[in-house]
Amino acid sequence: MSVEVVSADGLAFQYNAVDVLTDISFDLSEGGYIGLVGPNGSGKTTLIKLLLGFYKPTNGIVKLFGFDPADFQDWHKIGYLPQKIVSFNPNFPATVKEIVALGLVSRKKLPKRPGRADKLAVGHAMELMDIMDIKNELIGELSGGQQQRALIAKAIVSEPELLILDEPTTAVDPETREKFFSLLKELNGQKRVTIIIITHDTGTIGKYASKLLYLDKKIIFYGSFEAFCVSSEMSDYFGEYSQHLICHRHDTANN
Amino acid sequence: MDILDFLSHGFVQKALIAGSFIAVLCSTLGVFLVLRRLSLIGDGLAHVTFGSIAVGLFFKSSPVYVAVPIVMLSSLGILKLVEKARLYGDAAIGIASSLGIAAGVLLASVAGGFNVDLFSYLFGNILSISIEEVIASIVLSIILITVIFLFYQELLSVTFDEESAKASGVNTKKINSILVLLTALTVVLAMKMVGIMLVSALLIIPSVTALQMARSFKSTMFIAAITGVLSVLLGICISFAADLPTGATIVLLNILFFIAAFIYKTLR
Amino acid sequence: MSEKQGNVNMIKDILKSRNLLSYLLVLALFLTMISMTGCGKKDHPTTGQKKLNIVTTLFPLYDFTRNIVGDNAQVTLLLPPGMEPHSFEPKPGDMLRINNADLFIYTGKFMEPWVEGILKGLDSKKLVIVDTSRGITLNEEKEDEKDQDHAHGHGKTDPHIWLDLSNAQKIVDNILEGVIQKDVANRDYYSKNAETYKVNLNGMDAKYRETFSTCKRRIFIHGGHFAFNYLAKRYNLQYIAAYHGSPDAEPTPKRLIELKNMLKQYDIKYIYYEELILPRVSEVISRETGATMLKLHGAHNVSKEDMDKGITFLSLMEENLKNLKVGLECQ
Repeated sequence: MSVEVVSADGLAFQYNAVDVLTDISFDLSEGGYIGLVGPNGSGKTTLIKLLLGFYKPTNGIVKLFGFDPADFQDWHKIGYLPQKIVSFNPNFPATVKEIVALGLVSRKKLPKRPGRADKLAVGHAMELMDIMDIKNELIGELSGGQQQRALIAKAIVSEPELLILDEPTTAVDPETREKFFSLLKELNGQKRVTIIIITHDTGTIGKYASKLLYLDKKIIFYGSFEAFCVSSEMSDYFGEYSQHLICHRHDTANN
Repeated sequence: MDILDFLSHGFVQKALIAGSFIAVLCSTLGVFLVLRRLSLIGDGLAHVTFGSIAVGLFFKSSPVYVAVPIVMLSSLGILKLVEKARLYGDAAIGIASSLGIAAGVLLASVAGGFNVDLFSYLFGNILSISIEEVIASIVLSIILITVIFLFYQELLSVTFDEESAKASGVNTKKINSILVLLTALTVVLAMKMVGIMLVSALLIIPSVTALQMARSFKSTMFIAAITGVLSVLLGICISFAADLPTGATIVLLNILFFIAAFIYKTLR
Repeated sequence: MSEKQGNVNMIKDILKSRNLLSYLLVLALFLTMISMTGCGKKDHPTTGQKKLNIVTTLFPLYDFTRNIVGDNAQVTLLLPPGMEPHSFEPKPGDMLRINNADLFIYTGKFMEPWVEGILKGLDSKKLVIVDTSRGITLNEEKEDEKDQDHAHGHGKTDPHIWLDLSNAQKIVDNILEGVIQKDVANRDYYSKNAETYKVNLNGMDAKYRETFSTCKRRIFIHGGHFAFNYLAKRYNLQYIAAYHGSPDAEPTPKRLIELKNMLKQYDIKYIYYEELILPRVSEVISRETGATMLKLHGAHNVSKEDMDKGITFLSLMEENLKNLKVGLECQ
C-alpha cells in the first residue's frame, strides 16, 4: 500500500482558545490535485501551516509522506509558495537567479557547495517559467507577474513531489496564469507531482484541479467539481443560487 | 610628516589592520541584520556589554570574560522575545538595551564605585588597540567567513523569507541563533577596540550604502565589506592629516559614502 | 466570543509560556539580590556624626575639611568613589543632601559648572555655600608657549587649582571661613587645625621645590587630561598632556605621534597615566617607545579601595612626588 502524500485525521487547531480548524480528516494520494477553497479566515493557510509543521495541532494527526511534520526530513520533496503579500520584502537585494537557487537549499547537505547539477536545475526552472531573460534583475524591480514566476520557479526547482501553492495567481496577468496552469497540468499529469493549490476563486479552479476541498473551519465538501455542483452540503452552505452561479460560470468558461 | 613615517607607528598599523577586520565583521553581519530589521542590535548589545562589564567588575573578575557569555545569552534572549512576546526586533532590542544600561548604572551605584570608571569601557579607542585584540579580530573574522561560506544558502533563505526557509527544511532557529551569537561576539570585541559609536555605525551604514547600489545579494555583501574597510583605512589617514578624532572621522566617511551611493542610485 | 473571554485567554496564554516568565522571574530575583548586598553600604563616604553637616564635591575638599573640623562635623563626599568627576551630574539624592546641609563646599564654577544651575533650586535658609576658588588666580588651559600649536586661545579655564600647593592653602582658608561662619563657638579649634594642616601643605610644597631643584629633565608627559599645569607652573616645569578637555574626548593620531616624538626628542623614558580611567593612551605610548608607565594622581576623586585604605590628599601628593622624581630623573 503506498503511503499517502498527505493525510489528516481529526485535525484541529485553536488559537487563543478560538477554533480555527475542527475535525479535519482527508487523504491525498500521489498524483492528486486539490483546490483548497473557502472564504477568508476559513483556515486554509492554517491547514497548510499545520501540514508543514509550522504549528502543532491542538488535536488530531497530520502526516506528510507518512511522517509527523516535526520528524520529516526530505524537504526537497516539497515545493512551497507562500502567500505573496505576507512573505515578500520587495526591496530585497537579490537577483532572480539567487532567489530561484534558494529553492535548492532543501537538497543541501553540509558542507557541500552548489555544484554543476544545481546550476543546471536552476537554469531549467527559470526556462520553464520563462524568466531567463530577467535572471540577473533584482527581484524587487520586477512586475508582480514576473516576481510570482520567479517564486514559482523557486518552488519547483528541487523537482518536488508535493507542490503547495498559496494563492499563486493573484496579481498575475491572464497569460501568465494560463501558462502557469498548463505547467501544473504537465507536472501533475506527466510527473505525478501532487498539488495543493489554495485559492479563493472557487469557480475557475474546478477547471484544473481534480478535487475540491471546501473549507470553512471544517470540511464542508471534498470531492470532484461535478459532485460539488450537485452536492446537497454545498447547497445548504451556499444557498442553491450561489452554487448554481459558480457552476454555471464554470460551464460557461468551459464552453 | 610624510605617510611613511605615519605608517611606521605601531598604533597606526594595529588600527589599520584590526580596524579593517572589525569593519569586515560588522559590515557583513550588518547586511543580514539590516534586512531582518535588527539594525539596532549592535547598539542594544553594546549597552548590554556595558551592563555585563559592570557585573564583571562587581564580582571582581575580568570584565571581558564575564561580558562575552552574558551578551551572547542576551542576544538569544532578544530572539526569544521576538518569537514569544510577538515583538518586532526593534522593541525587543530596546528592552535588552535599557536593561543593560540600567543594570550597569545600578551595579555601579550599589558597588559604591569601581576601580576604573565604568563609562570608559564604552569608549574603546581605535588608536589604542593591543596585539591580542588584533589577533582576536582576525580569528573572529575567519570564523565569520567560514560560517557564511558553509551556511550561505541557509542564511540567505532565512533572511529572505523565514517561512519558506522552514518549508525547505532549514533549521531557522539554529541559523538565527548563529547570526545573533556572532553579532554578540563581534559587538563585545569591537566595543572594546573601537567603542560603541563605531560599532553601531559599522554595523548599519556600510550595508545600507551597499543596498543603494546592489545588483545581487553577493555583491551587496562585498560592497558593504569594502565600504566598511575603506572608511576605516581612509578615516585613519584623514584623521591624521586633518588632526581630527579618528572614530568620528570614520563614521562621517561612512555617511559620505552613503550619500554618494544614494545620489548615484537616484540619478541612475 | 466575547472580548472578556479573549482577554482571559490572552492571560492564560502568557502564563502558559512559562519560559519567558521564569526568565523574567529569575532576572528579578537576581537584581533584588544584588540590591540587597548594597543595603547598609554607604556609597557616600562620611565622617563623624556630630553637629555640623557638610557636603563637599571633590576629594581634596573633603580631605581638607575633615582635617579642619575633626569630630565636630559630618563631612560627606558627594562624588562616589571611583566616579570620574568631569562626567558627574548630581542625582536628586545629591540635591537633597546639599539642601539639607549646613555647608556646601565646591571647587569653583569651572570644575563644577553644574553648581550654578542647582543654586537656584536650593531653598535652604541655613545653607552656607563656599566657592573655594575665591581669591585664586585661574589659568587658561594652555601649554607652554614653546608649544604654540596647541595653545588653546579660546580661553578655556583650567579648573585644577588644588594641585598647586599654595592654592591648596588658600582653599583651606576659604573652607575655614565658611566653617567658622556656621560654628563660631569652636573657631579657635578650627583655626588651630587649619594652621596645622597648612603647615603640612607648606612642608610638602617645600619638599617639592627641593626635589625639583636638581632634576635632569624639566618636562613631563602625561597620557591623561590636562590637569597638572598649576603644579608644573609652580615649580617651573613643562607639562604636556594627551587630552585637552575632559577624558572623553579622543586624542587625534597626530597628537599621539607628537607625544611619541617629544619623548624621543627630549630623551624621556617615562610616561604618566592618570587615575580612575583605563590608561589606554599611556599604554600605547609606553608600548611603542619603551617608556615606563608611572601614575600621576590628579586627586579629583579616589577609588573605593583607596578610600577604604584611608588615603589622604597629602599621601597622594607624596606618591606623585615620588613618581615625578623618578620620571624627571632628580637626585
